Amino acid sequence: MIGALTWSVLAPLLASVLCLLAGRAARWVALGAMLVPLAVGSAALVSFVRQPGADFRLLESYPWALGAAWTVGVDGIGAALLALTGLVMSIATISAWNEARRPAAYHALVCLLTAAVVTVFTTLDLLVFYIAWEALLLPMLALIGLWGGEQRRYAAIKFFLFTLAGSILMLALVIALWVVQPEATRSFDIRQLAGQWRLWESTSVLGVSLARFGFVAVLLAALVKVPAVPLHTWLPHAHVQAPTAISVILAGILLKLGVYALYRLAWPLFPLQALVFDHWIAVLGVIGILWAAWVALGQQDLKRLVAYASVSHMGFCLLGLAGLTSSGVTGGMVQAITHGLGSPLLFLLVGVVYDRAHHRRIDGFGGLATPMPRFAWALLLASLSGAGLPGLAGFPGEALVLFGSYTAGGWWSWLGALATLSVVLSAAYLLWMLKRVIYGPLRHPEQAAFPDLDAREQAAILPLLLLLLLCGVWPTPLVAALRPACEALITHVTGAP
Amino acid sequence: MIPEWLSSAIVLIPLAAALLAAPLRSAGLAHALAATAMAAATALAVWLAWLIVPTGLSWQGPRLVWLDLGSWALSLGTMVDSQAAIMGVIVCLLATLVLIFNAWYMHDEPLAARFPWQFSFFAFAMLLVVFADNLFLAFVGWELVGLGSYLLIGFWYMKPAVADDPFYQRFKGVRARGVLEHCLSPAHAQLKAFIMNRIGDAGFLLGIGAFLAAGLAAGVRDPLQWSELQRLAAQGMPGSFLGLSGEDLLLLGCLGVFCGAIGKSAQFPLHPWLPDAMQGPTTASSIIHAATMVAAGVYLVARCYPLFPPEALLVVGIIGGFTCLLAATIASVQWDLKATLAYSTVSQLGLMFVGLSAGSEAYGREAGLGHLYAHAMSKCLLFLAAGAVIHAAGGVQDMGRLGGLARRMPLTAIVSLLAVAALIGTPFTTGFFSKDAVLSAALLHAEQRGGWTWLPFALACAGSLLTAFYMVRWWVRIFLGPERQPEITEHAHDPPGWAAAPLVVLALFTLWAPWTVREHGEAVATGHSHAQIAAFSLIGGLIVFAVLTYAPVVRLVSCAGKPRWWQRIFSEHAEQCGFAHGQPSCTVPCGVKTAAAFAPGLLLIPWLLGYVFDSWFAPHGPDPAAAAQYHAMAIAIGLMFTGAATGLIIYWWLPRLGVDTTGFLARHIYPLYNACANLWWIDRAWHALFARGLGEGLGRLSARLDLGDRTRLAALEGAAPWRPRDLASLDGAIDGLGRICARLGAGLAAWHDGRIGAYAALAVGIASLLVIMGVLW
Repeated sequence: MIGALTWSVLAPLLASVLCLLAGRAARWVALGAMLVPLAVGSAALVSFVRQPGADFRLLESYPWALGAAWTVGVDGIGAALLALTGLVMSIATISAWNEARRPAAYHALVCLLTAAVVTVFTTLDLLVFYIAWEALLLPMLALIGLWGGEQRRYAAIKFFLFTLAGSILMLALVIALWVVQPEATRSFDIRQLAGQWRLWESTSVLGVSLARFGFVAVLLAALVKVPAVPLHTWLPHAHVQAPTAISVILAGILLKLGVYALYRLAWPLFPLQALVFDHWIAVLGVIGILWAAWVALGQQDLKRLVAYASVSHMGFCLLGLAGLTSSGVTGGMVQAITHGLGSPLLFLLVGVVYDRAHHRRIDGFGGLATPMPRFAWALLLASLSGAGLPGLAGFPGEALVLFGSYTAGGWWSWLGALATLSVVLSAAYLLWMLKRVIYGPLRHPEQAAFPDLDAREQAAILPLLLLLLLCGVWPTPLVAALRPACEALITHVTGAP
Repeated sequence: MIPEWLSSAIVLIPLAAALLAAPLRSAGLAHALAATAMAAATALAVWLAWLIVPTGLSWQGPRLVWLDLGSWALSLGTMVDSQAAIMGVIVCLLATLVLIFNAWYMHDEPLAARFPWQFSFFAFAMLLVVFADNLFLAFVGWELVGLGSYLLIGFWYMKPAVADDPFYQRFKGVRARGVLEHCLSPAHAQLKAFIMNRIGDAGFLLGIGAFLAAGLAAGVRDPLQWSELQRLAAQGMPGSFLGLSGEDLLLLGCLGVFCGAIGKSAQFPLHPWLPDAMQGPTTASSIIHAATMVAAGVYLVARCYPLFPPEALLVVGIIGGFTCLLAATIASVQWDLKATLAYSTVSQLGLMFVGLSAGSEAYGREAGLGHLYAHAMSKCLLFLAAGAVIHAAGGVQDMGRLGGLARRMPLTAIVSLLAVAALIGTPFTTGFFSKDAVLSAALLHAEQRGGWTWLPFALACAGSLLTAFYMVRWWVRIFLGPERQPEITEHAHDPPGWAAAPLVVLALFTLWAPWTVREHGEAVATGHSHAQIAAFSLIGGLIVFAVLTYAPVVRLVSCAGKPRWWQRIFSEHAEQCGFAHGQPSCTVPCGVKTAAAFAPGLLLIPWLLGYVFDSWFAPHGPDPAAAAQYHAMAIAIGLMFTGAATGLIIYWWLPRLGVDTTGFLARHIYPLYNACANLWWIDRAWHALFARGLGEGLGRLSARLDLGDRTRLAALEGAAPWRPRDLASLDGAIDGLGRICARLGAGLAAWHDGRIGAYAALAVGIASLLVIMGVLW
């Protein structure tokens, strides 16, 4: 009997084959397939809201070769990310509903990508994790490289090389962990590996402990994905060149993989190393928050601005995770989820104006609130959420991370104080953009005829807007679902020495 | 018995009204809905105040855990004490009145249906700040207040910048408000307001951080609740934050909260957003300047008052006093009628902070809050009256072109005269009691502590003097004198009946307000009867009324017979200098003479009055509080009298005699005038340093350092030549690394192209390398 989580991988996987056969109906097939992880993830999340706990639910395990196994299961964070994946993928499918260039292949690739991402978020097996982690690069490479803008090949190759270079050491880690385990109990089960962390602390490879090597390997892979400054420069290119729907996926899901890898692998498997490196990771987070915010201030391209805003917001996840306080880690995870709602919304809205104007230069717009009032309200709410306004989803995560750093003592409070500057900077770059794009008089007369959001666009935007409000006004259940897992992680790490 | 739901209902009713009114297309319906809801909220707020204020206790409403973080939690809940209850009444009442007025004010405005819901949301956010039972929820409300102001200031979001707006240039004058007018627009103003507030909010967050660190160190479950905060402060603030602990930590926390207040309450150096916010509808200004937004800062400091150590209060007082004087100087030279009021608000807020800085021994909290309440009434009324004037004059708000409106708009003239009287502290108005309380609290505090605490008091006195001056100028320029441009004002009329009702109601509140008297009563509860105070204020009031009525008498007399001696002096003087004929020049000695004539009066009168009244009332005992009370009262009346009289002389009496006093002053105190008219260059400095420098400039620079310049970005794909300057960017440097690898690869590929010789050479080379290495090791 195949369980729900396996189905949420199988459904998109089968759908990707069906898409190729379905031709014009591929979009329906894809949408249907995306609803499976959405439904499973939501149900799991609800179960974690009702009965909070740090345990894994919906567990399934089928043995495979070499001690690896198809073991899937979700804790609160996995459930939330699974639901988010289903949601963002569905919305990306809706937003690419009228994709004209080889729609069947396009949707098939997106389904393939979904299957890989869902595998990463649900698997509890290191080998499967690594395979899925690398496998998702290929559909993404194709989606950017084939359906992208004018400089798509440059952007796609850059994306591919950065992420591949980041994660190549992970393969060595997977092999090394297999080798050092005693033959009788060899396993790739992450839970079991987390219990054996002393083994790699005491094993030395080329003069450093295996744990240190492994931590750096996972860290590097994760930091490229998050992305952390200075490993972030693939992101603006990828976003600018990718079609809207792919930007939505990139911002909503792929960036979360980095945070998830830290949460699922780096911290549990190498707790002592996490305690050694956490200061530096937090510093990277703060650098990312401030640097990306300042770069966003100087952008002329709407999409690139949103991309840098993304980098800045993801810095909070790093700062929170590294802080190892209940408030910080939970806040970092909440930030990861809510950023997965807010950033896709911004990219969708940028896509809306791009579809009408065929350019994304900020100074090429002005006064769009007059012809497109609904669009303007949506962009206002999305931007305010990005600026961390209470009542919208961007606030709880940022506030918790900041509060976590304030209370972590010592020089963490200085990091928190520096990160606080982002409340000014994020308001500055986002609301300044609003001023130039939607407010003021109509600067380009031909834009007076721009139609407001149509039904399809609203169908993509409204769910995100509602969730943005819900998570902002009442994040209580979300936090209740995420916190036990975060606290278990903190106990595991801080109890290590 | 207080119903559990009462305080929450007062907060949530405006929110419900906002949500319900938002989709409405009909402006009338939306206004009716919102005004009804706000009236209901007002009724509930009055009920709550009725239950709470007499007891003087604080009441904890229902609470709800928002985020549970294990050992501690962030929660939502309400806590109502007397101040909160009164503030709640004021917010709801003013919101109701302004909504009613706005229904008339915007009767031909196409976007009018948007106003009620944005306005109700604004009121909801403010009520959240007012009733919040913890610092975190107050911060949430605080930010939402920022959003409300953002929406309302940008109400006419589609308006162009002033430089491109012929309408603005025609009606307001490009130089109406000093510098930077060219880029001023609603969109600009809303952005500026939000970001300047955010700068304050960053400090606020750090303040929260200080209390949070202390609370967690003490193991408190709900560390940001007011009662817990007080306990933490009493315990000496355990824990550390930013390397501070103990008293320093408390100071940091309080200054952080005050930093937020500097932003919201528009204190130096974060004040420039408020005058710019005049870009919003005048009715929105009337609530921003009275009950919501700017009041939030003062209110929050008052709410946190028990926490503030004397050092923090001194900072509050100095910043408040400095702002009070600074804004008053600017207000004195503004020509835009709304800008005068805006700077007046900044100045009065400074005065409130001076009052707060006096500490609880000197009843500083009561003084500051009392002035907040009294000011809310008069400033709300002034803005509504300003709206009526602007409406009547077809959009003109240049005081250089208005004039003589008292005859066409008698009701507006009278109610705004009352508001002016209250604002400058004329006896028998609420403003008198509140301003007197502020000055007496500051004076008492200064006498007790000495040293730097004299500074806030002195600055507040100077600010009060100028307040009387510029407010009289404001009223005289608009309502008295000739109709300078009759074509503008010929169709002017008062608001019609029901729209005038809010004006009348507010006018009554400038004369009598139970809460102000109550706060004043506490402030003077030092053993002196209200009868004495009343007698005292009666004498001062008689003097002021004599001056105010003196002017019309003079006018009558001068019409009847030959000019009196003082008129002759000034007329002859005017003749000599050529003012009367519009000639621009005047000799320096003339200016010196005039200054010499004015200065002793300006300096002497308050102190003289103080001396006289002091000798009358002082022998009641050695109580320093009572002495300070009387000193301050005399000084307050003297300042008000002097300022108002100066304003009347310069802007009403002398111009009637044909003296161009405005031009005269502008020429003879040019450096001072210029500095004030240029807003002391603060706006310009902000613009250069933050908007252009740190924002745009550094933003561009970091963007270039990150991805490279535009040329590089345009040529990423394709065969564009590589340029060394690309290495100056992060992305370019990484690409450079890639390029080196590619070159290396291409170079090595030459050895793998199938030539046997190449392979042989390679094999020999590698083998000899290995041998050499083997030998060496």
